[in-house]
Amino acid sequence: MELTDSIVDRLRHVAALPDLVGTRYELESQIGRGGTGVVYAARDRELNRPVALKVFDFALPGEAQLIAQLEHPAIVPIYESGTLADGRSFYAMKRVVGEPLDRYVTKSPSLAERLRVIRRVGEALAFAHSRGVIHRDLKPQNVMVGDFGQVYVMDWGVDAVAGTPAFRAPEAELDQRSDIYALGLLLQFMLPQTPPHALRAVANKATRPNSADRYPSVYQFLADIERFQEGLAVEAWSEPLWHRARRFGSRNALLLWLFAAYASVKFLLFFLRTV
Amino acid sequence: MDTDTGIGGIAGQFPSTDLSLLAAVSGELSHRALGQVVALYWKPVYRFIRLKFRKNNEDAKDLTQSFFTMAVQRDFFRGFDPRRASFRTYLRMAIDRFAANQLAAQKRQKRGGDVEFEQLNDHLIANESPEEAFEREWQRQLFALAVNDLRAHCLASNKKLQLDIFESYDLAGPDRPSYAELAARHGIAETSVTNYLAWARRTLRAFVTQRLRRVTSGEAELRKELRRLWS
Repeated sequence: MELTDSIVDRLRHVAALPDLVGTRYELESQIGRGGTGVVYAARDRELNRPVALKVFDFALPGEAQLIAQLEHPAIVPIYESGTLADGRSFYAMKRVVGEPLDRYVTKSPSLAERLRVIRRVGEALAFAHSRGVIHRDLKPQNVMVGDFGQVYVMDWGVDAVAGTPAFRAPEAELDQRSDIYALGLLLQFMLPQTPPHALRAVANKATRPNSADRYPSVYQFLADIERFQEGLAVEAWSEPLWHRARRFGSRNALLLWLFAAYASVKFLLFFLRTV
Repeated sequence: MDTDTGIGGIAGQFPSTDLSLLAAVSGELSHRALGQVVALYWKPVYRFIRLKFRKNNEDAKDLTQSFFTMAVQRDFFRGFDPRRASFRTYLRMAIDRFAANQLAAQKRQKRGGDVEFEQLNDHLIANESPEEAFEREWQRQLFALAVNDLRAHCLASNKKLQLDIFESYDLAGPDRPSYAELAARHGIAETSVTNYLAWARRTLRAFVTQRLRRVTSGEAELRKELRRLWS
């Protein structure tokens, strides 16, 4: 019997559906597909709450457990991980209500707000790196901004993930600096059309082709962002003198005004005494 | 009407690849593995040649058979480097080169005369590139083999009912029966119908994975192929 195109499509569809026999979950719909599997909207029958189920394309029990151990405010909480009857690994996580970063930026948030999101993403990455986990596939679609401004980094990668080409570092073997590269691209993506020089320099440093030229850790990347926000010089850019003077001026405006007022009074007194 | 070949479609009907040639292959691909490669790729290669080089049924069959014969004779499969491309991509590029060389040789034989191209029927072209046809045929073949594996497994393990339900529902045309109709037909509960279907689909998926495992170079390539198949 020759399988027609429609039957092949149907078999691809039905064989791809996760077999939830023996689990507490009931499938609702497909949310999206990532590098290693599919995320479904599902319902936890026992606790009567909505969840998101990430079902890998293959068995990856160790990886699912590793990701499940990442507890951080900017990482979607994992409720449970396990293996389905069909052998595929899965984990159940909180179903986040919000929008991905690529949609969020279309609302033209302020620069401060954009940097808040980037810093939250960076903090989640730094935490994961400290636990020996790298994301491997950081991109705007994998960052969710919740209705109340919460930021969640989703779809943590596993060894099998090759990364999305546009956000993938050029090196063959991905490591923590590959995540820094993707974070730099994410910063570039988040910046307004005419960004401040210093921030552009931070993004450029994070995305250098040679990984040794990038920030050695996410913490250093975050420290540079923080320096920019505090009006200090960033490590990534040796700024020209006029720029340094202008930054000094805007950072110490009050002091300069006071000094100018003092100088004016002094001058006036001197002038009155000599008349 | 010049229709497609029926060979390469159902298990047991693959062209009998010369065993003495198969014996020449050693190293990475065992005889058994080569048999798996031919079983899965014969029809996709044939379709690719038909569309890309506009060959009629007989010529396309000859070229396909020649390709696999050449592949074995020249130890072609040993040149495969999984770091550079998937086996499927490697194979498709090789067919491209092989068929182009064959056509160039034919052209030389005719001393500069034009090579004759077959006018293909519209249903064969159907706005599909040869690469897309290769991909689609590969999927069809993979599932056909996995369905055969499932059938053999069910018959050998006394699961005829599960097989009947799967065939009546998942392999049926657009007017397939409902769960209730199937339950009534077999005198079982509707939940049994869904459970049997879930089992059959799960087992089918396992056979698909097993088939793919046999024609990939390792876990990394297998995962890539699985992702490609299910996405």
